[in-house]
Amino acid sequence: MEFYTKPGEYDAINYIPPAESHGTKELWRTFWILLGITVLDFIIYFVMPHTGFRNFIFIFFGIVKAYYIVGAFMHMKYEKINLALIILVPTVFIIGLVMGLLYEGNALTYAK
Amino acid sequence: MANHQQAAFEQQPMWAGGRSPFNVSYGKLMMWLFLLSDAFTFSSLLVQYGAQRFSNVQTPIVTKWPDPASIFNHFPFMHGLHLPLLFVSVMTFILIMSSVTMVLAVEAGHRKSKKEVVRYMIYTIIGGAMFLGCQAWEWSVFIGEGATLYGNQFGITEAGHKVFGALNFGDHFEWEPEYRTAGPVPFAALFFIVTGFHGFHVFSGVIINVAVTIMAARGAFDRRGHYEMIEKAGLYWHFVDLVWVFVFTFFYLI
Repeated sequence: MEFYTKPGEYDAINYIPPAESHGTKELWRTFWILLGITVLDFIIYFVMPHTGFRNFIFIFFGIVKAYYIVGAFMHMKYEKINLALIILVPTVFIIGLVMGLLYEGNALTYAK
Repeated sequence: MANHQQAAFEQQPMWAGGRSPFNVSYGKLMMWLFLLSDAFTFSSLLVQYGAQRFSNVQTPIVTKWPDPASIFNHFPFMHGLHLPLLFVSVMTFILIMSSVTMVLAVEAGHRKSKKEVVRYMIYTIIGGAMFLGCQAWEWSVFIGEGATLYGNQFGITEAGHKVFGALNFGDHFEWEPEYRTAGPVPFAALFFIVTGFHGFHVFSGVIINVAVTIMAARGAFDRRGHYEMIEKAGLYWHFVDLVWVFVFTFFYLI
């Protein structure tokens, strides 16, 4: 099989879908959201006492920021659902790893 | 030519081979899969950090994990002031800002505007270099206070229980080194490994951005007919920003 096809011929391997611009309005909106959440992080850090609930808020904000970075900046919102699923579904295992190891870490305290 | 190819592409059945069922090019798909594997690498590091931290809560035998506010409280040109989180927030802002200029370069690439692509890419490179400089400063301060890979003098402080939020209303100032006791050993080591690994990603991202900018400025993408290389470099750069969001959350906020 030839990998280098002649110009004008259909070429599955080197095919690049045409790019379309979605404008800069949404990008700047995403920037303000990210900045706002970071400022909110900063304020909450000084206002609230250090509790598990505050940690939960920080992790939740981290996930919200991740949603906006992956969705708008990395263009995931406009990709096919197939691509979004093969990238995003495996990250569910990270949550399992976090849950498991934090639980075990707590148990380690008393094993020491 | 492009329309002809697009029509031929759309006619192929989705899962029968000969076309990408994801409607992205080979290179972009591989970049996404690389980022997924890199996400697992970083999450394993962060999970290790979490496990170490959770296994170092205060008991009679085990020492407590130090409060990051009492350690990362420096700001350039403001010697001796207790300013927790401020410098890291500035670093976060720099990285978010460079992410925005990167995405503006990608958007300009969609419009095939070479001049704008090069301009925004140069802003992005400047942002990355500024971030690296900030991190070098933070490391040098941390090492200057005595942090090593093998030991940790940052432990719980005597006045630690008087802390409300990050504001201290106690008699002692808990960030003063003389109130510190030795803490859990992995603290400094994990800080160096995780922020070092992230910093190395930023460094390679800056190198990639410089290479891509030179290619764009010399018109390589105009000859190729598309600016997809900017998109691929952009995916990597946004991923670096994404990782920093979580490093910031776990190392400094929690």
